[in-house]
Amino acid sequence: MTTGQSNPHSSPAPLGATELALEGVWHVVVLNDPVNLMSYVVMVFKKVLGFDETKARRHMLEVHEQGRSVVWSGLREKAEAYAFTLQQWHLTAVLESDGEAR
Amino acid sequence: MEKRVEVKLELPSVAPLLDVIKAAADSLRDGLAAPLGMKEIEGEFRDAWTGELLAGQNRDVGALLALFDSNFFATGWISFTEKNAEAIVRACSALRLRLRGRFLPGLNDEALESGEVDLDVLPEPVRKAFMSYVFLATIQEVIIQHLDSSILGS
Repeated sequence: MTTGQSNPHSSPAPLGATELALEGVWHVVVLNDPVNLMSYVVMVFKKVLGFDETKARRHMLEVHEQGRSVVWSGLREKAEAYAFTLQQWHLTAVLESDGEAR
Repeated sequence: MEKRVEVKLELPSVAPLLDVIKAAADSLRDGLAAPLGMKEIEGEFRDAWTGELLAGQNRDVGALLALFDSNFFATGWISFTEKNAEAIVRACSALRLRLRGRFLPGLNDEALESGEVDLDVLPEPVRKAFMSYVFLATIQEVIIQHLDSSILGS
């Protein structure tokens, strides 16, 4: 698995129904922390996940107010790449399989 | 032409904070600021991920510390560019997480988030750690405010 140099945003792969059925859906969940600035989290969401300003702010507020936000869902390998990149930016990201995420 | 932001800092105010920041940086050499939370990742991959994250974290922190070179101590100026901004803004995050975890034990999250802390009642080491925590946030704000589009475009 290539991890460190992966850039999931730059190479979006279409999700095949068959692949998803075989592997299940994985969710990238960002957890709240009391340290990172709101403006920083918004910037990271834009940079890593390709969100526009509105979507980035919405997810940031969800993290801040509810403690967590599902920021991406799909195949496990790609979810891992997103989670790794978010960790590079010091956001706490976890993976949850379908049925775990709420 | 490369976008550049130059900031003049007050040496007498900032210089004492650099010892704290350096201590936090040293403590990050062998550990991640934000622990890897993914239990699903198996041992071999987990070790590889941790190693890569740690190496990147150390590079970023090195880029931040490089701002405070002999030129800074002579003039008080530091500069952020499209090349170093991304690493520095990440390093600030790592250092703030470490300061929060190890250097600011007595302050609760609400106080840190609001910044409403009575500095006069804090012991000197905690006061300096808190000022460093705020200083690093200010650096992040400056970069995000002025170089956000440059970072996103890189």
